[in-house]
Amino acid sequence: MPSPRLHVLSWNQPLVHAVTAWLARGWTGEEGPLDLSDTLLIAPTRQAGRRLREALAGHAAARNQAVFPPRVIMPEALATLDAPAVGIASQAESLLAWTEVLRAVDLEAFRDVFPLDPPARTFSWAVRLAREFQRLQTTLAENGLRMADVAERGGEDFPEAERWRQLGELEAVCDAALAERGLSDSQAVKIAFAANPAPLAGVRRVVVAGSPDPLPIAVRVLVSHGSRGMPIDVLVSGPIDAPAGGAPLFDLWGRPDAVAWAGRALVLADFEQRVRLCADPAAQADIIVSCASEYRSPGGRLGVGVADAEVLPSLENGLARAGVPAFNPEGRSMRAEALHTLLSALAELVKEPSFAAVSALLRCPDMLRWLGGSSSGLLALLDELHAEHLPPTLAAARRHAGDDPAWSDLASALGAIAELRDSLIDGGFPANVSGVLAEIFRKRRFNLALAEDARAVEVAQAWGDVLTELETALSRFPGLAAADVWELALRALGDGQRFDEKPEGAVELQGWLELLWDDAPHLIVAGLNDGRVPDAVVGDAFLPEALRERLGLKTNGGRFARDAYLLQALAACRTGERGRLDLLVGKTSAGGDPLRPSRLLFLCADADLPERVAFLFKPAEAARPNHAWRRAWKLAPRADEKIKRLSVTAFRDYLKCPFRFYLKHALHMQAVDPHKAELDAMDFGNLCHGALEAMGRADSPVRDCTDAAVLRGFLLGELDRAARAHYGDRPVLPIMVQLESARQRLSKAAEVQAQLRAEGWVIDRTEWKFELALGGLPVRGKIDRIDRNELTGEVRVLDYKTSDKPVNPADAHVRAPRRNEDVEALPTCARFMAGDGEMIWFDLQLPLYLEAMAAEFGHAVTCGYFNLPKAAGETGVSLWSGYDAALQEAAMTCAQGVAESVTERRFWPPAELPADYDEFGGLFPQGAALSVDWAREGEA
Amino acid sequence: MKPLGHKMILASAGSGKTYALTSRFVQLLAYGAPPERIVALTFTRKAAGEFFDEILNKLAKAARDPQEAARIAAEIGEPALGPADFLRMLRAMVSSMHRLSLGTLDGFFARVVRAFPLELGLGGDFEILQEHGARLERQRVLRQLFARTGGELDEAQREFVEAFKRATFGSEEKRLAARLDQFIDLHQEVYLNAPDGDAWGNPARIWPQKSAWLEAAADARGAGAVLRAWAEGAGLAEKQLGRWQEFLAALDAWAPGAMLPRELVYVLEKAVGAWADLLKGDAVLEFDRKKQTVSADGCAALVALTRKVFGGELVRRLEMTQGIHTVLRGYETVYHDLVRRAGKLTFADVQRLLMPEAGHGFAGERAPRLASGGAAEDGRLLVDWRLDAKFDHWLLDEFQDTSHGQWSVLRNLIDEAVQDPEGRRSLFYVGDVKQAIYAWRGGDPRLFREIYDHYNAVAAGTIGEGRLDQSWRSGPAIVAAVNRVFGDAAVLSRLLPAPAAERWNREWRDHASARPQLNGQVAWLHGADDEERAALTLRLLQEIDPLERGLTVAVLVQSNDAATGLADYLRREGGLPAVAASDLKVCTDNPLTTAVLALLQAAAHPGDRFAWEHVRMAPLGDAVEQAGLGRDGALTEAILKQVHADGFARTIDAWLRKLEPVLAADDAFSRERARQLTEAAQLFDGTGSRDVAEFVRFAETHVVRDAETAAVIRVMTIHKSKGLGFDVVVLPDLEGNSLSTRRREGLGVQRTASRQVEWVLDLPPKLFHENDPVLAAHVEAAEADAAYEKLCLFYVAMTRAKRALYLITKPVAPKSVSANFPRMLAETLGADPASGKLRVGRWAGECVFSEGDADWFDGVAVVDERVEAATSRGSGLEMLPAAIPVVRFSARTPSGTKAGVVTGAALFGATRTSAASFGTAVHAALAAVEWGAVTTDVLTTWQAAGLGPLVIAEARACLGASELAEVWVMPAASGEVWRERAFEIVLDGEWITGVFDRVVFTRNARGRISGATVYDFKTDRIEPDEVGQIGQRYAGQLAIYRRAAACLLGLTEGRVRCALVVTALKRIVTVAWSGAD
Ligand code: SF4
Repeated sequence: MPSPRLHVLSWNQPLVHAVTAWLARGWTGEEGPLDLSDTLLIAPTRQAGRRLREALAGHAAARNQAVFPPRVIMPEALATLDAPAVGIASQAESLLAWTEVLRAVDLEAFRDVFPLDPPARTFSWAVRLAREFQRLQTTLAENGLRMADVAERGGEDFPEAERWRQLGELEAVCDAALAERGLSDSQAVKIAFAANPAPLAGVRRVVVAGSPDPLPIAVRVLVSHGSRGMPIDVLVSGPIDAPAGGAPLFDLWGRPDAVAWAGRALVLADFEQRVRLCADPAAQADIIVSCASEYRSPGGRLGVGVADAEVLPSLENGLARAGVPAFNPEGRSMRAEALHTLLSALAELVKEPSFAAVSALLRCPDMLRWLGGSSSGLLALLDELHAEHLPPTLAAARRHAGDDPAWSDLASALGAIAELRDSLIDGGFPANVSGVLAEIFRKRRFNLALAEDARAVEVAQAWGDVLTELETALSRFPGLAAADVWELALRALGDGQRFDEKPEGAVELQGWLELLWDDAPHLIVAGLNDGRVPDAVVGDAFLPEALRERLGLKTNGGRFARDAYLLQALAACRTGERGRLDLLVGKTSAGGDPLRPSRLLFLCADADLPERVAFLFKPAEAARPNHAWRRAWKLAPRADEKIKRLSVTAFRDYLKCPFRFYLKHALHMQAVDPHKAELDAMDFGNLCHGALEAMGRADSPVRDCTDAAVLRGFLLGELDRAARAHYGDRPVLPIMVQLESARQRLSKAAEVQAQLRAEGWVIDRTEWKFELALGGLPVRGKIDRIDRNELTGEVRVLDYKTSDKPVNPADAHVRAPRRNEDVEALPTCARFMAGDGEMIWFDLQLPLYLEAMAAEFGHAVTCGYFNLPKAAGETGVSLWSGYDAALQEAAMTCAQGVAESVTERRFWPPAELPADYDEFGGLFPQGAALSVDWAREGEA
Repeated sequence: MKPLGHKMILASAGSGKTYALTSRFVQLLAYGAPPERIVALTFTRKAAGEFFDEILNKLAKAARDPQEAARIAAEIGEPALGPADFLRMLRAMVSSMHRLSLGTLDGFFARVVRAFPLELGLGGDFEILQEHGARLERQRVLRQLFARTGGELDEAQREFVEAFKRATFGSEEKRLAARLDQFIDLHQEVYLNAPDGDAWGNPARIWPQKSAWLEAAADARGAGAVLRAWAEGAGLAEKQLGRWQEFLAALDAWAPGAMLPRELVYVLEKAVGAWADLLKGDAVLEFDRKKQTVSADGCAALVALTRKVFGGELVRRLEMTQGIHTVLRGYETVYHDLVRRAGKLTFADVQRLLMPEAGHGFAGERAPRLASGGAAEDGRLLVDWRLDAKFDHWLLDEFQDTSHGQWSVLRNLIDEAVQDPEGRRSLFYVGDVKQAIYAWRGGDPRLFREIYDHYNAVAAGTIGEGRLDQSWRSGPAIVAAVNRVFGDAAVLSRLLPAPAAERWNREWRDHASARPQLNGQVAWLHGADDEERAALTLRLLQEIDPLERGLTVAVLVQSNDAATGLADYLRREGGLPAVAASDLKVCTDNPLTTAVLALLQAAAHPGDRFAWEHVRMAPLGDAVEQAGLGRDGALTEAILKQVHADGFARTIDAWLRKLEPVLAADDAFSRERARQLTEAAQLFDGTGSRDVAEFVRFAETHVVRDAETAAVIRVMTIHKSKGLGFDVVVLPDLEGNSLSTRRREGLGVQRTASRQVEWVLDLPPKLFHENDPVLAAHVEAAEADAAYEKLCLFYVAMTRAKRALYLITKPVAPKSVSANFPRMLAETLGADPASGKLRVGRWAGECVFSEGDADWFDGVAVVDERVEAATSRGSGLEMLPAAIPVVRFSARTPSGTKAGVVTGAALFGATRTSAASFGTAVHAALAAVEWGAVTTDVLTTWQAAGLGPLVIAEARACLGASELAEVWVMPAASGEVWRERAFEIVLDGEWITGVFDRVVFTRNARGRISGATVYDFKTDRIEPDEVGQIGQRYAGQLAIYRRAAACLLGLTEGRVRCALVVTALKRIVTVAWSGAD
């Protein structure tokens, strides 16, 4: 058999040029186009082929000619080239076969594989394991092996022979499962085919170019083509001045010799200028970005290699920020595509029609577009509904949305979603999915001329292919649960890659293995760290290094030699005038883990090693400086919002902080909590109030009841009615617990109420609305309850409090100045002398109540709280003892003052509050006054 | 290799633990151990990294410098070694770098588990859940737990609610979600260590020989009345009577588990105080210094009531504890199914998988043992085969922080090493039991001795003991003070619980400074309150001006809040560059990033007026307007679209770029924050989530450990300062809980000697546990441990200082009895006639104690060139001369000259399948045809190629169609054809890659090509009425084909005819050439 002819091309020029020249040798252009169409060219990567074709086109163009390019394929493709395509199990099919087997077999027979029973032999368990076994099969197939072969090849001291024998058996069972359906395992077919490949139609010669580690199986294929007399040329770039007689640097197939390269010193002129230690991925990105922007048009002039994927995100963002177009030939995972997100949301909805699923789905742009109308309006309503009713499910949400005409838009949107779900549930896969998507995108027209649309189309087609493959697979392996099918489909789509068009003059961000084919004179390689270059496998559940060696699979040794060669080749064609190579070595990963320099960088004479080590292990300069805190800007809120009325609670807000008062009552700054999972304090209070109010109404049957049990029954009845109306029959668990809490509090309240009534207290008013005029502003409020004692005629006003701890009215309204507090800063109206000391108002609720009642009930009225706290024992009425006219007067002065300040728009300066007790804290880093620019209306 | 004994090293602060480790490592190498057989484990990855770097640097130094070589050689007891030997070791290290087992315990465990997923009951490989991931999972689990999709509550849920009520009895809970979160934080670890309910609130376990209180839960009916009767009849003074009445009233209101009102406490304390007499039926109780004799039936009644209260409380606590367990079990069950089984594990999970006794959900009792040699019998996991490594030598750092769980995993492997008959393997562990401040994380300093005793009990002298008491960090002044404070056994015994003091004193050795020439100062000052202490701190720093002198300085406090507060104070009041070295919330601590987050929130939740106004009052408002997104809904649509298409990082980056002009030119800080926000977004994008609310929450909790930069004053917690050293250390926050109070953690957990959880109990209030022997013993022990840890904390604090140490505390009231740290200082430092006057440089102030050189820092040169903040300068890489020519074309594929419109229906509808694949198939079919009609061999090729019937039918039709005849018929005798012929060509500097579907050309008499037709097959569904347009739709593409064909055939363009073959309609559309020859 004619062995392949190995041609070592000088690595003093870029490989791609050398290969082009070699392919076009003897062609002048006179004789017509450069016709290589009868050549089968093996190149290591997609990108390599692309580069070669470009170079050939350029070469021909220089002679006003064009090219019939060679057929370029990757080594792994060799083993399936022109192979018959029928009867081979698709990815999905073999996955399902494995899954079926793993769930069916009796594990007792495979105890060396499964020493323990798995947690649960569910589909998702099986599918995860199936994927692992598939990966395993693929790896073994690289050297034409199947699981069954491992046991023998493992050698006699092989400690896991039995385990592998059993794996082999499992594999056989899986093959059988496929065979039943007239299918055969793709790897098996590949291996068989490789042993006796089809003759290469229309190929007169094979050229293997710059492929330092073709898969062993690919080499086998070549061997058998060779043995049939197919001429094979192997092109590799290397030192042409290699000392004769010295150990050969490559084998016949152009593979770097492990021993030779592991021992060969790396020649890298002025090493310490070329190699840079960088603190972290961001720092590496920085260097590349600023270098790229220093070149005016980096495209083609600057090549970038990224050996550590962690550098990519910062790099891409950095380049974008610097306005340098970039191109990542590796493509992007479809997982990041909008369609994938939409589909996942649909899948969730199918799995569980929970409210969470709905709101996720509703925030998919395509959904909003489909639903039409005002998307912001719709989402606002959705949040409103959530905050109001905390519906657990779509159904519940629809019920509530139905109650309120203001929500009609939302109601119809939810209806539409419900319909989508129905059609996703009944109707066979994938017809139902296609149907739903076709509906969602009904109105869309994708204009292929627009990058954005073209991208969408590409993804959609990928999805189409996924469905097609899955459809066939499912016809052969029926009976999967909908959720499982979805999981498979989404995973399949997500594993797919998308390739952008390369933008004009873009910098290519290439993986390590691409670089050999890059001819950019200036090359920067980031991430030259151990474990990245070369990547090392240390330990494995199935194929540890020791076994890989025995099986002739890729080993760490092999990788090291390959990368040693690659690095040297990259350097060689860029030495001196020819260009330059810069290597960036990360000191820590993005997560802050320490990294080590690539072992390749220590390929030097022993004499130089200590310096090398000293250099590469010197501490890198600190990542990024720790700048002193600084304010980017001051906030400039609209100052012109009017305030037309005050609520009783507003006074508390103003006394707490006039500026926050403005934000809250003039700008109505109210946050939405998308994570709200249970009732907040106010919801809870309202529930209890509702029941208590009903108890006190004029028409209440128990208004004069003194029997705690009956009152209790009444209150709980009211509570449940309200709760059901508001939160449905099946609220989420936390609400159940909260209702339980409300019940306990009301039960205790019933006892207290019975007691009060027995003492002669009659509920005179409940939820009594009033309006006062203060400082030219209407002040509105609602009094929970006014009691009149039928025996003494005494009147008192009570406010229900459902806070966890009982509240003492006096403590809730006035306080003494704090230790070294600057009282001058407080609004003067809030300060007053009580007996010997000064006191400060911080709430005016009860005094305002009394004021409002004065007209009708006179001034001889006491006030207090009806506490319904956590600890049942402390439930009861707590009156404001010693409340007198003086206090009332002081309070009203304060109220007047506040009202006037509001009309005079005195909202400055703000109070400085501890951030954690300040709902506005987020606006005021390092101080409220400093954070805001309030120079309006001559204030401050 | 030569045998090398096992060693335990008890180190002290700054005594060079790492140095000892590296020396050991080098020694092992010198003895011939292959590097990859040495396992060296630390706690932080940072430490591991530094450790590795130091080994290499050490070897490198020795390899080039004979003196250094000699020194190290001597040090490791191999004087013969020279540079050449160290070079050999260096080479060995470097070339086996990738195989070294030198990292964190967590990392090592994860590596083992990865190699044995099925053996450990995992379903395949797993991913490690990082902090954020874990938080998300918890939310997901809770949502699942709370969901009410089914009809009624399912069994589990009902049980859960019931349990929750029991667990929170008395303080009945209004909020479940929030409380549960707490619950899990507090108790999950305990639960996972004792999942078995039997240990929870089980009286039989807590009181093996019964509890007096529970036994005698006597019936106290009527007792109240009896007691009242006695009290009212006994003619007591009003005050005493009042006590009794309040007591009885409170007793009615009180329920077990609830807070204990003082009225009850008062009387009950008296009661248990005179318990014996009460039982005898004749007791004298003293209320408010007035004696009163209680009658026999009074005694009986009081006894009954006391028993009722105690019994009731204990029973309730037992119930609550069981409740807590059930709640946790409910949560854990869901979590286990949803998260762990899906292959998402925390490091804690990973470790538990390997713990032999973990009764955990995976491996259960069958958890296999790790082993590195011999056969895989009895479920031993052969670590060495699957990890490609044989582990002969073990180096363990910071051993005092090792938890019992971690040890239980390593034990088997290390046993093999320690018991290796030929002594070819070894164990070396080092740590400082005086710095054991991680008990709350499971750190178990007692292991240190236990292991030593264990192995030496088997064979005396198995493990040697070494000590490192020389500080390479601190100067003499510091060391002297440390010795005085922590070396005073008498004082410690007086102030600490006995067990704690004994533990400490047993291991204490006086320290010595290895840097006697290093002068410095130690002083203890008084500051009445936080304000004053902060002021003193500032004053000291201003006087010393450490940064100007290039000194490092740290202010150590006890909490993150204190750190942030103090840092602000120093910046505000003193303008000092103080940084709270606590984790920085970079996304929310400044106006820029908070506004951007508000923008996202406002877009995704348009009802959020807060976010909206925030955006409006920030410069973002204008940016939104300028982007034309002011109108209703525009922003929502734009941002959601952008986020779903490109992720958060790119979206945010785009907006940040809009804001760039707003920032002051020199505002490096905000730009840094902007960038950190983008980085956070990149991290989040990694999860693939597009949920804005989720992202905002992530950003709000996202923290960055601040970069260690010189030229700042670092304010941090003592915990964080562990392992660091500073020239100047100020300790203004030594107040707080006295040395003997126990950390308030909800549950009392009693462990056996082998650290198994014996029982768990939600401890009752003081009164109760004090008066129950079992509980009292438990609490006492717990308090002793807490006290010990507290002492460690202060030890760590004081030993951070290299040259100067300033302690600032409240004055200690002479007759105060509270045994806190200030008091300890008083009894040790304060003992001598305090100078009273303190001088620090030019500043003179009050102090209690001062020692050393008041002008110590004068000697230190003021460094003029400051460590400048290197803001992004150029790449620093030299450019390349433009001389070197580069060929690059803009690339393009003619068929890729995208044209046309696809409808959603066509794209997604049921017919979609045809679209893409069908087209290519038809192309393939037609390419198989050279000339003429369908021949049998064409058919066979088609079938062989696996083309579907539809496709074949279409191809047949095309071949049959009269309209298309010219395509297939050989024009003349000399006719030739290209089929699916690829070409590469450069036209107008554009590189074009194309494929001719079919080109037919003829030659003239002279054999030169005379004319050609390019046929391009269009297989997409085209309606007859569209035929008009498709001509120009593809005009561009065909123009290119024409030029390419002309070039390739050596024709003028005029002689190339281009035709579209519309297969759907069987029509040919000729596209005329619009040019002149
Ligand atoms: S007191 Fe008796 S009668 Fe009156 S309402 Fe209550 S239960 Fe009915």
